[in-house]
Amino acid sequence: MNAIEIVKLTKYYGKICALNKMSLDVPEGTIYGLVGPNGAGKTTLIKALVGSLQPDSGYAKVLDLDPLKDKWKLRQQIGYMPQSPALYDDLSARNNILFFGKGQHVPDLQKKVDEILSFAELTKRANDAVRTFSGGMKKRVSLCCALIHNPKIIFLDEPTAAVDPHLKMQSWILFRKLAQKGVTIFVSTHQMDEAMLCDQVTILRNGEILAVDTPQNILKLGKTNVKIITNNEEKVSVIDSTPQSLADELKKYGLEKNISSVELHSDTIEDIILSIVQEKEKGNKS
Amino acid sequence: MNHTFIIARRVLTQLKGDRRFLALSIIGPLIIVYFLKLLFNTFPPMIDVKSYTMPFTAFIVHFLSFILCAILLVQERINGTLERMMIGGFSKTSIIGGYTLGYFGLATIQAITVLAESIWLFKLSYDTKTVVLLFIVIWLLAIVSVMLGIFISTFAKHEAHVFPFIPLIILPSVFLTGLIIKPDGLPLWAQIIGKCLPIHYAVNIIHEIIKPTYTITDTLLDYGILTGYIFALLVLASLTLKETE
Repeated sequence: MNAIEIVKLTKYYGKICALNKMSLDVPEGTIYGLVGPNGAGKTTLIKALVGSLQPDSGYAKVLDLDPLKDKWKLRQQIGYMPQSPALYDDLSARNNILFFGKGQHVPDLQKKVDEILSFAELTKRANDAVRTFSGGMKKRVSLCCALIHNPKIIFLDEPTAAVDPHLKMQSWILFRKLAQKGVTIFVSTHQMDEAMLCDQVTILRNGEILAVDTPQNILKLGKTNVKIITNNEEKVSVIDSTPQSLADELKKYGLEKNISSVELHSDTIEDIILSIVQEKEKGNKS
Repeated sequence: MNHTFIIARRVLTQLKGDRRFLALSIIGPLIIVYFLKLLFNTFPPMIDVKSYTMPFTAFIVHFLSFILCAILLVQERINGTLERMMIGGFSKTSIIGGYTLGYFGLATIQAITVLAESIWLFKLSYDTKTVVLLFIVIWLLAIVSVMLGIFISTFAKHEAHVFPFIPLIILPSVFLTGLIIKPDGLPLWAQIIGKCLPIHYAVNIIHEIIKPTYTITDTLLDYGILTGYIFALLVLASLTLKETE
Protein backbone atom coordinates (compact mmCIF):
# COMPACT_ATOMS: atom_id res chain seq x y z
CA MET A 1 0.00 0.00 0.00
CA ASN A 2 1.15 3.53 -0.71
CA ALA A 3 1.61 5.91 2.19
CA ILE A 4 1.76 8.90 -0.15
CA GLU A 5 0.21 9.37 -3.56
CA ILE A 6 0.98 12.49 -5.58
CA VAL A 7 -0.77 13.20 -8.87
CA LYS A 8 0.24 16.05 -11.20
CA LEU A 9 0.95 18.38 -8.28
CA THR A 10 1.75 21.90 -9.49
CA LYS A 11 2.75 25.02 -7.61
CA TYR A 12 3.86 28.39 -8.95
CA TYR A 13 5.43 31.22 -6.95
CA GLY A 14 4.66 34.08 -9.33
CA LYS A 15 6.26 33.01 -12.60
CA ILE A 16 8.57 30.49 -10.97
CA CYS A 17 7.39 26.91 -11.20
CA ALA A 18 8.26 25.19 -7.91
CA LEU A 19 6.42 21.93 -8.69
CA ASN A 20 5.66 20.97 -12.26
CA LYS A 21 2.90 18.34 -12.61
CA MET A 22 4.73 16.10 -10.19
CA SER A 23 3.47 12.54 -9.72
CA LEU A 24 4.91 9.85 -7.50
CA ASP A 25 3.96 7.07 -5.07
CA VAL A 26 5.68 6.35 -1.78
CA PRO A 27 5.27 2.79 -0.43
CA GLU A 28 4.46 2.37 3.26
CA GLY A 29 7.31 1.60 5.62
CA THR A 30 10.07 2.84 3.34
CA ILE A 31 12.72 5.49 3.68
CA TYR A 32 12.00 7.68 0.70
CA GLY A 33 14.64 10.20 -0.28
CA LEU A 34 14.04 13.46 -2.09
CA VAL A 35 17.34 14.53 -3.57
CA GLY A 36 18.18 17.70 -5.43
CA PRO A 37 20.00 21.02 -5.29
CA ASN A 38 18.63 24.09 -3.51
CA GLY A 39 15.52 25.38 -5.27
CA ALA A 40 14.67 21.96 -6.72
CA GLY A 41 11.24 21.94 -5.03
CA LYS A 42 11.98 19.59 -2.10
CA THR A 43 10.68 21.89 0.63
CA THR A 44 7.67 22.98 -1.45
CA LEU A 45 6.68 19.35 -1.97
CA ILE A 46 7.01 18.55 1.73
CA LYS A 47 4.94 21.63 2.67
CA ALA A 48 2.21 20.56 0.23
CA LEU A 49 2.15 17.09 1.81
CA VAL A 50 1.90 18.33 5.40
CA GLY A 51 -0.89 20.74 4.46
CA SER A 52 0.87 24.05 4.89
CA LEU A 53 0.81 24.90 1.18
CA GLN A 54 -2.08 25.14 -1.24
CA PRO A 55 -1.08 23.65 -4.62
CA ASP A 56 -2.29 25.37 -7.80
CA SER A 57 -3.44 22.10 -9.37
CA GLY A 58 -3.14 18.36 -8.96
CA TYR A 59 -3.61 16.56 -5.67
CA ALA A 60 -1.85 14.58 -2.99
CA LYS A 61 -3.06 11.91 -0.60
CA VAL A 62 -1.17 11.11 2.59
CA LEU A 63 -2.35 7.95 4.39
CA ASP A 64 -5.31 8.20 2.00
CA LEU A 65 -6.20 11.62 3.41
CA ASP A 66 -6.26 15.03 1.73
CA PRO A 67 -3.61 17.21 3.47
CA LEU A 68 -5.93 20.25 3.41
CA LYS A 69 -9.46 18.86 3.68
CA ASP A 70 -8.64 16.16 6.24
CA LYS A 71 -5.98 18.19 8.05
CA TRP A 72 -7.12 17.40 11.62
CA LYS A 73 -7.15 13.64 11.04
CA LEU A 74 -3.87 13.75 9.20
CA ARG A 75 -1.94 15.98 11.61
CA GLN A 76 -2.33 13.44 14.42
CA GLN A 77 -0.54 10.87 12.27
CA ILE A 78 2.34 12.82 10.79
CA GLY A 79 5.56 14.23 12.17
CA TYR A 80 7.20 17.24 10.57
CA MET A 81 10.70 18.57 10.98
CA PRO A 82 11.19 21.79 8.98
CA GLN A 83 14.51 22.92 7.52
CA SER A 84 14.98 25.63 10.16
CA PRO A 85 14.87 24.34 13.75
CA ALA A 86 11.48 26.07 14.41
CA LEU A 87 11.88 26.03 18.19
CA TYR A 88 11.25 28.49 21.02
CA ASP A 89 14.71 29.83 21.85
CA ASP A 90 13.70 31.01 25.32
CA LEU A 91 12.35 27.61 26.30
CA SER A 92 14.47 24.65 27.34
CA ALA A 93 14.84 21.59 25.11
CA ARG A 94 12.53 19.69 27.46
CA ASN A 95 9.83 22.40 27.40
CA ASN A 96 9.95 22.61 23.61
CA ILE A 97 9.40 18.86 23.26
CA LEU A 98 6.75 18.89 26.01
CA PHE A 99 4.89 21.70 24.24
CA PHE A 100 4.65 19.89 20.89
CA GLY A 101 3.90 16.60 22.69
CA LYS A 102 1.00 18.18 24.59
CA GLY A 103 -0.35 19.51 21.30
CA GLN A 104 -0.62 15.90 20.11
CA HIS A 105 -2.01 14.60 23.47
CA VAL A 106 0.84 12.10 23.89
CA PRO A 107 0.14 9.69 26.78
CA ASP A 108 2.85 9.27 29.44
CA LEU A 109 4.53 12.34 27.99
CA GLN A 110 7.18 13.00 30.66
CA LYS A 111 8.59 9.46 30.28
CA LYS A 112 8.58 9.73 26.49
CA VAL A 113 10.37 13.08 26.66
CA ASP A 114 13.08 11.56 28.88
CA GLU A 115 13.52 8.66 26.46
CA ILE A 116 13.77 10.84 23.39
CA LEU A 117 16.15 13.29 25.09
CA SER A 118 18.35 10.33 25.97
CA PHE A 119 18.30 9.10 22.36
CA ALA A 120 19.31 12.56 21.14
CA GLU A 121 22.08 12.68 23.76
CA LEU A 122 20.56 15.83 25.21
CA THR A 123 19.76 14.67 28.74
CA LYS A 124 22.52 16.79 30.31
CA ARG A 125 21.34 19.93 28.51
CA ALA A 126 17.60 19.16 28.73
CA ASN A 127 16.80 22.10 30.99
CA ASP A 128 18.97 24.70 29.22
CA ALA A 129 17.40 27.33 26.99
CA VAL A 130 17.58 26.35 23.32
CA ARG A 131 19.18 29.74 22.48
CA THR A 132 22.40 28.46 24.12
CA PHE A 133 22.52 25.42 21.78
CA SER A 134 24.63 24.92 18.67
CA GLY A 135 22.93 24.54 15.27
CA GLY A 136 23.36 20.76 15.38
CA MET A 137 21.87 20.50 18.87
CA LYS A 138 18.86 22.56 17.80
CA LYS A 139 18.35 20.12 14.91
CA ARG A 140 18.35 17.27 17.41
CA VAL A 141 15.69 18.98 19.55
CA SER A 142 13.67 19.65 16.42
CA LEU A 143 13.87 15.97 15.44
CA CYS A 144 12.67 15.00 18.93
CA CYS A 145 9.66 17.33 18.53
CA ALA A 146 8.79 15.60 15.22
CA LEU A 147 9.02 12.10 16.71
CA ILE A 148 7.45 12.58 20.14
CA HIS A 149 3.93 11.39 19.16
CA ASN A 150 4.99 8.22 17.28
CA PRO A 151 3.73 9.38 13.87
CA LYS A 152 2.97 6.99 11.01
CA ILE A 153 4.78 9.19 8.49
CA ILE A 154 7.65 11.51 9.26
CA PHE A 155 8.51 14.38 6.93
CA LEU A 156 12.09 15.47 7.45
CA ASP A 157 13.41 18.48 5.57
CA GLU A 158 17.20 18.14 5.56
CA PRO A 159 17.24 16.66 9.07
CA THR A 160 20.95 16.11 9.45
CA ALA A 161 22.32 19.31 7.93
CA ALA A 162 24.81 20.75 10.47
CA VAL A 163 24.58 17.60 12.61
CA ASP A 164 27.88 15.91 13.58
CA PRO A 165 28.77 12.59 11.85
CA HIS A 166 28.18 10.48 14.95
CA LEU A 167 24.62 11.70 15.56
CA LYS A 168 23.95 11.67 11.82
CA MET A 169 24.79 7.95 11.82
CA GLN A 170 22.64 7.43 14.95
CA SER A 171 19.71 9.28 13.33
CA TRP A 172 19.86 7.07 10.24
CA ILE A 173 19.97 3.94 12.42
CA LEU A 174 16.80 5.24 14.12
CA PHE A 175 15.14 6.02 10.76
CA ARG A 176 15.86 2.43 9.66
CA LYS A 177 14.45 1.02 12.91
CA LEU A 178 11.30 3.14 12.50
CA ALA A 179 10.91 2.01 8.87
CA GLN A 180 11.19 -1.63 10.01
CA LYS A 181 8.26 -0.96 12.35
CA GLY A 182 6.21 0.27 9.38
CA VAL A 183 6.81 4.02 9.73
CA THR A 184 7.28 5.83 6.43
CA ILE A 185 10.16 8.30 6.36
CA PHE A 186 10.00 11.00 3.71
CA VAL A 187 13.30 12.81 3.81
CA SER A 188 14.84 15.55 1.72
CA THR A 189 18.60 15.86 1.44
CA HIS A 190 21.29 17.13 -0.84
CA GLN A 191 23.90 14.84 0.67
CA MET A 192 24.60 11.86 -1.60
CA ASP A 193 25.82 9.61 1.22
CA GLU A 194 22.39 10.01 2.84
CA ALA A 195 20.61 9.29 -0.44
CA MET A 196 22.42 5.94 -0.50
CA LEU A 197 20.75 5.02 2.81
CA CYS A 198 17.23 5.41 1.39
CA ASP A 199 15.12 2.56 -0.03
CA GLN A 200 14.05 4.68 -2.96
CA VAL A 201 15.16 8.02 -4.26
CA THR A 202 13.55 10.73 -6.38
CA ILE A 203 15.89 13.20 -7.99
CA LEU A 204 14.37 16.65 -8.41
CA ARG A 205 15.48 19.70 -10.33
CA ASN A 206 13.52 22.91 -10.97
CA GLY A 207 10.30 21.30 -9.74
CA GLU A 208 10.57 18.32 -12.05
CA ILE A 209 11.35 14.67 -11.40
CA LEU A 210 14.53 13.59 -13.18
CA ALA A 211 14.67 10.01 -11.90
CA VAL A 212 12.91 7.63 -9.50
CA ASP A 213 14.75 4.46 -8.53
CA THR A 214 16.66 2.64 -5.82
CA PRO A 215 19.96 4.33 -4.95
CA GLN A 216 21.80 1.19 -6.14
CA ASN A 217 20.21 1.42 -9.60
CA ILE A 218 20.90 5.13 -9.77
CA LEU A 219 24.53 4.38 -8.89
CA LYS A 220 24.72 2.03 -11.88
CA LEU A 221 24.13 5.04 -14.11
CA GLY A 222 27.46 6.43 -12.94
CA LYS A 223 30.88 5.67 -14.42
CA THR A 224 34.15 4.79 -12.69
CA ASN A 225 37.62 5.55 -14.00
CA VAL A 226 40.01 2.62 -13.45
CA LYS A 227 43.69 3.49 -13.76
CA ILE A 228 46.10 0.53 -13.88
CA ILE A 229 49.87 1.04 -13.97
CA THR A 230 52.09 -1.88 -15.06
CA ASN A 231 55.84 -1.48 -15.79
CA ASN A 232 55.47 2.30 -15.96
CA GLU A 233 52.70 1.88 -18.47
CA GLU A 234 49.44 3.54 -17.51
CA LYS A 235 46.09 2.36 -18.78
CA VAL A 236 42.84 4.16 -18.01
CA SER A 237 39.47 2.61 -18.68
CA VAL A 238 35.95 3.80 -17.95
CA ILE A 239 33.54 1.19 -16.57
CA ASP A 240 30.05 1.09 -14.98
CA SER A 241 30.09 1.88 -11.23
CA THR A 242 29.18 -1.68 -10.20
CA PRO A 243 31.26 -4.28 -8.34
CA GLN A 244 30.66 -6.74 -11.23
CA SER A 245 32.07 -4.36 -13.85
CA LEU A 246 35.17 -3.81 -11.72
CA ALA A 247 35.71 -7.59 -11.41
CA ASP A 248 35.34 -8.01 -15.19
CA GLU A 249 37.86 -5.23 -15.79
CA LEU A 250 40.41 -6.73 -13.40
CA LYS A 251 40.05 -10.18 -14.99
CA LYS A 252 41.91 -8.72 -17.98
CA TYR A 253 44.88 -8.39 -15.65
CA GLY A 254 44.71 -11.91 -14.18
CA LEU A 255 42.06 -11.69 -11.49
CA GLU A 256 40.82 -15.21 -10.76
CA LYS A 257 37.83 -16.04 -12.95
CA ASN A 258 35.67 -17.22 -10.01
CA ILE A 259 35.74 -13.71 -8.46
CA SER A 260 32.59 -12.11 -9.78
CA SER A 261 32.45 -8.89 -7.81
CA VAL A 262 35.02 -6.50 -6.36
CA GLU A 263 33.93 -3.73 -4.02
CA LEU A 264 36.15 -1.05 -2.61
CA HIS A 265 35.27 1.09 0.34
CA SER A 266 37.63 3.85 1.32
CA ASP A 267 36.92 5.81 4.47
CA THR A 268 35.65 9.31 3.81
CA ILE A 269 37.04 12.20 5.84
CA GLU A 270 33.83 11.95 7.96
CA ASP A 271 34.50 8.25 8.71
CA ILE A 272 38.09 8.99 9.66
CA ILE A 273 37.17 11.85 12.02
CA LEU A 274 34.39 9.73 13.56
CA SER A 275 36.76 6.83 14.26
CA ILE A 276 39.36 9.21 15.81
CA VAL A 277 36.64 10.66 18.09
CA GLN A 278 35.40 7.18 19.05
CA GLU A 279 38.94 5.96 19.78
CA LYS A 280 39.54 9.01 21.96
CA GLU A 281 36.25 8.44 23.84
CA LYS A 282 37.17 4.77 24.42
CA GLY A 283 40.56 5.88 25.75
CA ASN A 284 38.95 8.38 28.14
CA LYS A 285 36.49 5.78 29.49
CA SER A 286 39.20 3.16 30.15
CA MET B 1 -9.91 24.83 24.85
CA ASN B 2 -7.15 22.61 26.26
CA HIS B 3 -4.85 23.70 23.44
CA THR B 4 -5.56 27.37 24.27
CA PHE B 5 -4.28 26.83 27.82
CA ILE B 6 -1.25 24.87 26.58
CA ILE B 7 -0.29 27.81 24.33
CA ALA B 8 -1.02 30.39 27.06
CA ARG B 9 1.21 28.47 29.47
CA ARG B 10 3.95 28.26 26.86
CA VAL B 11 3.69 32.04 26.21
CA LEU B 12 4.02 32.74 29.95
CA THR B 13 7.00 30.36 30.34
CA GLN B 14 8.57 32.01 27.30
CA LEU B 15 7.99 35.52 28.71
CA LYS B 16 9.58 34.44 31.99
CA GLY B 17 12.62 33.21 30.06
CA ASP B 18 12.92 36.38 27.97
CA ARG B 19 13.81 38.83 30.72
CA ARG B 20 14.82 41.57 28.28
CA PHE B 21 11.37 41.54 26.68
CA LEU B 22 9.69 41.41 30.06
CA ALA B 23 11.72 44.36 31.33
CA LEU B 24 11.02 46.33 28.15
CA SER B 25 7.29 45.65 28.45
CA ILE B 26 7.05 46.78 32.06
CA ILE B 27 9.85 49.32 32.55
CA GLY B 28 9.43 50.84 29.05
CA PRO B 29 5.98 52.33 29.72
CA LEU B 30 7.13 53.62 33.12
CA ILE B 31 10.04 55.51 31.55
CA ILE B 32 7.76 57.01 28.89
CA VAL B 33 5.29 58.18 31.58
CA TYR B 34 8.23 59.90 33.29
CA PHE B 35 9.15 61.63 30.01
CA LEU B 36 5.50 62.73 29.78
CA LYS B 37 5.84 64.28 33.22
CA LEU B 38 8.97 66.15 32.11
CA LEU B 39 7.10 67.46 29.05
CA PHE B 40 4.02 68.53 31.04
CA ASN B 41 6.28 70.37 33.52
CA THR B 42 7.21 72.77 30.71
CA PHE B 43 3.54 73.71 30.00
CA PRO B 44 2.26 77.08 31.25
CA PRO B 45 0.18 76.86 34.48
CA MET B 46 -3.11 77.75 32.77
CA ILE B 47 -3.10 74.42 30.93
CA ASP B 48 -4.76 71.73 33.04
CA VAL B 49 -2.24 68.93 32.40
CA LYS B 50 -4.05 66.58 34.81
CA SER B 51 -6.89 66.11 32.32
CA TYR B 52 -4.34 64.92 29.71
CA THR B 53 -2.40 62.59 32.00
CA MET B 54 -4.69 59.56 32.05
CA PRO B 55 -5.56 59.62 28.31
CA PHE B 56 -1.83 59.75 27.48
CA THR B 57 -1.10 56.99 30.00
CA ALA B 58 -3.70 54.84 28.26
CA PHE B 59 -2.15 55.69 24.89
CA ILE B 60 1.33 54.56 26.05
CA VAL B 61 -0.04 51.18 27.15
CA HIS B 62 -2.02 50.89 23.88
CA PHE B 63 1.00 51.61 21.68
CA LEU B 64 3.48 49.33 23.48
CA SER B 65 1.10 46.39 23.89
CA PHE B 66 0.20 46.57 20.20
CA ILE B 67 3.73 46.80 18.86
CA LEU B 68 5.29 44.19 21.16
CA CYS B 69 2.57 41.62 20.57
CA ALA B 70 2.57 42.14 16.78
CA ILE B 71 6.37 41.75 16.58
CA LEU B 72 6.40 38.62 18.74
CA LEU B 73 3.81 36.91 16.56
CA VAL B 74 5.64 37.92 13.39
CA GLN B 75 8.77 36.36 14.90
CA GLU B 76 6.80 33.13 15.34
CA ARG B 77 6.01 33.22 11.64
CA ILE B 78 9.66 33.89 10.67
CA ASN B 79 11.04 31.18 12.97
CA GLY B 80 8.60 28.64 11.55
CA THR B 81 7.07 27.89 14.96
CA LEU B 82 3.64 29.18 13.86
CA GLU B 83 3.60 26.73 10.94
CA ARG B 84 4.90 23.98 13.18
CA MET B 85 2.19 24.66 15.77
CA MET B 86 -0.51 24.39 13.11
CA ILE B 87 0.91 21.17 11.67
CA GLY B 88 1.32 19.96 15.25
CA GLY B 89 -2.44 20.00 15.76
CA PHE B 90 -3.08 23.49 17.19
CA SER B 91 -6.01 25.35 15.61
CA LYS B 92 -5.99 29.02 14.61
CA THR B 93 -8.54 29.86 17.32
CA SER B 94 -6.51 28.12 20.01
CA ILE B 95 -3.37 29.98 18.87
CA ILE B 96 -5.09 33.39 19.04
CA GLY B 97 -6.87 32.49 22.28
CA GLY B 98 -3.64 31.18 23.80
CA TYR B 99 -1.73 34.32 22.90
CA THR B 100 -4.45 36.59 24.26
CA LEU B 101 -4.62 34.63 27.49
CA GLY B 102 -0.81 34.55 27.74
CA TYR B 103 -0.55 38.33 27.35
CA PHE B 104 -3.54 38.89 29.61
CA GLY B 105 -1.24 38.74 32.64
CA LEU B 106 1.33 41.04 31.07
CA ALA B 107 -1.37 43.54 30.07
CA THR B 108 -2.70 43.50 33.65
CA ILE B 109 0.75 44.19 35.12
CA GLN B 110 1.32 46.96 32.56
CA ALA B 111 -2.02 48.60 33.39
CA ILE B 112 -1.43 48.44 37.18
CA THR B 113 2.17 49.74 37.13
CA VAL B 114 1.53 52.57 34.66
CA LEU B 115 -1.61 53.70 36.46
CA ALA B 116 0.14 53.64 39.86
CA GLU B 117 3.12 55.60 38.52
CA SER B 118 0.93 58.24 36.85
CA ILE B 119 -1.15 58.78 40.00
CA TRP B 120 2.02 59.11 42.12
CA LEU B 121 4.05 61.19 39.65
CA PHE B 122 1.29 63.67 38.76
CA LYS B 123 -0.02 63.79 42.35
CA LEU B 124 -3.55 62.89 41.20
CA SER B 125 -6.05 62.73 44.05
CA TYR B 126 -8.67 60.28 42.76
CA ASP B 127 -10.88 58.24 45.05
CA THR B 128 -10.68 54.42 45.05
CA LYS B 129 -13.73 54.01 42.80
CA THR B 130 -12.18 56.29 40.14
CA VAL B 131 -8.83 54.47 40.31
CA VAL B 132 -10.54 51.08 39.88
CA LEU B 133 -12.55 52.37 36.91
CA LEU B 134 -9.43 53.89 35.36
CA PHE B 135 -7.65 50.55 35.78
CA ILE B 136 -10.54 48.72 34.09
CA VAL B 137 -10.52 51.00 31.07
CA ILE B 138 -6.71 50.94 30.64
CA TRP B 139 -6.72 47.16 31.07
CA LEU B 140 -9.52 46.73 28.51
CA LEU B 141 -7.57 48.91 26.11
CA ALA B 142 -4.44 46.80 26.69
CA ILE B 143 -6.39 43.66 25.77
CA VAL B 144 -7.75 45.39 22.64
CA SER B 145 -4.14 46.37 21.77
CA VAL B 146 -2.96 42.75 22.13
CA MET B 147 -5.79 41.63 19.84
CA LEU B 148 -4.95 44.42 17.38
CA GLY B 149 -1.30 43.29 17.43
CA ILE B 150 -2.34 39.69 16.68
CA PHE B 151 -4.63 40.87 13.85
CA ILE B 152 -2.01 43.16 12.27
CA SER B 153 0.67 40.45 12.51
CA THR B 154 -1.35 38.32 10.09
CA PHE B 155 -0.51 40.84 7.35
CA ALA B 156 3.22 40.92 8.07
CA LYS B 157 5.78 38.45 6.77
CA HIS B 158 8.63 40.03 8.74
CA GLU B 159 9.09 42.58 11.54
CA ALA B 160 9.55 45.51 9.16
CA HIS B 161 6.01 44.97 7.82
CA VAL B 162 4.61 45.93 11.24
CA PHE B 163 6.09 49.44 11.16
CA PRO B 164 3.90 50.89 8.36
CA PHE B 165 0.92 50.21 10.65
CA ILE B 166 2.28 52.70 13.18
CA PRO B 167 1.50 55.75 11.00
CA LEU B 168 -1.71 54.06 9.83
CA ILE B 169 -3.19 53.21 13.24
CA ILE B 170 -1.17 54.72 16.05
CA LEU B 171 -0.57 58.26 14.77
CA PRO B 172 -4.24 58.91 13.82
CA SER B 173 -5.01 57.75 17.36
CA VAL B 174 -3.03 60.73 18.65
CA PHE B 175 -4.63 63.34 16.36
CA LEU B 176 -8.19 62.21 15.74
CA THR B 177 -9.51 60.55 18.90
CA GLY B 178 -9.70 63.34 21.46
CA LEU B 179 -6.33 62.65 23.02
CA ILE B 180 -5.07 66.22 22.43
CA ILE B 181 -8.16 68.15 21.32
CA LYS B 182 -11.86 67.34 21.27
CA PRO B 183 -12.64 65.83 17.85
CA ASP B 184 -15.87 67.90 17.45
CA GLY B 185 -14.00 70.60 15.52
CA LEU B 186 -12.51 68.14 13.01
CA PRO B 187 -14.02 67.57 9.52
CA LEU B 188 -16.68 64.86 9.54
CA TRP B 189 -14.54 62.34 7.65
CA ALA B 190 -11.73 62.78 10.19
CA GLN B 191 -14.22 62.31 13.05
CA ILE B 192 -15.40 59.07 11.42
CA ILE B 193 -11.81 57.78 11.17
CA GLY B 194 -11.26 58.73 14.81
CA LYS B 195 -14.36 56.81 15.86
CA CYS B 196 -13.03 53.69 14.12
CA LEU B 197 -10.01 53.64 16.43
CA PRO B 198 -10.44 51.86 19.77
CA ILE B 199 -8.58 54.45 21.84
CA HIS B 200 -11.32 56.99 21.00
CA TYR B 201 -13.70 55.12 23.32
CA ALA B 202 -11.08 54.65 26.05
CA VAL B 203 -10.33 58.41 25.98
CA ASN B 204 -14.09 59.20 26.13
CA ILE B 205 -14.49 56.99 29.20
CA ILE B 206 -11.40 58.45 30.91
CA HIS B 207 -12.58 62.05 30.35
CA GLU B 208 -15.92 61.16 31.95
CA ILE B 209 -14.46 59.11 34.83
CA ILE B 210 -12.31 61.97 36.10
CA LYS B 211 -15.33 64.32 36.25
CA PRO B 212 -16.70 64.58 39.84
CA THR B 213 -20.28 64.06 38.57
CA TYR B 214 -19.49 60.77 36.78
CA THR B 215 -21.85 57.84 36.89
CA ILE B 216 -21.09 54.57 35.07
CA THR B 217 -24.27 54.85 32.95
CA ASP B 218 -22.71 57.86 31.17
CA THR B 219 -20.18 55.59 29.45
CA LEU B 220 -21.88 52.21 29.15
CA LEU B 221 -21.96 52.47 25.37
CA ASP B 222 -18.21 53.27 25.21
CA TYR B 223 -17.43 50.31 27.49
CA GLY B 224 -19.59 48.13 25.27
CA ILE B 225 -17.83 49.27 22.10
CA LEU B 226 -14.38 48.75 23.64
CA THR B 227 -15.35 45.21 24.67
CA GLY B 228 -16.88 44.69 21.22
CA TYR B 229 -13.48 45.50 19.68
CA ILE B 230 -11.99 42.52 21.55
CA PHE B 231 -14.49 40.08 20.02
CA ALA B 232 -14.44 41.72 16.59
CA LEU B 233 -10.63 41.56 16.44
CA LEU B 234 -10.69 37.95 17.67
CA VAL B 235 -13.00 37.00 14.79
CA LEU B 236 -11.02 39.07 12.25
CA ALA B 237 -7.67 37.60 13.37
CA SER B 238 -9.14 34.07 13.12
CA LEU B 239 -10.25 34.81 9.58
CA THR B 240 -6.99 36.39 8.42
CA LEU B 241 -4.45 34.11 10.12
CA LYS B 242 -3.27 31.95 7.25
CA GLU B 243 -2.72 28.24 7.66
CA THR B 244 -1.36 27.73 4.16
CA GLU B 245 0.99 29.57 1.80
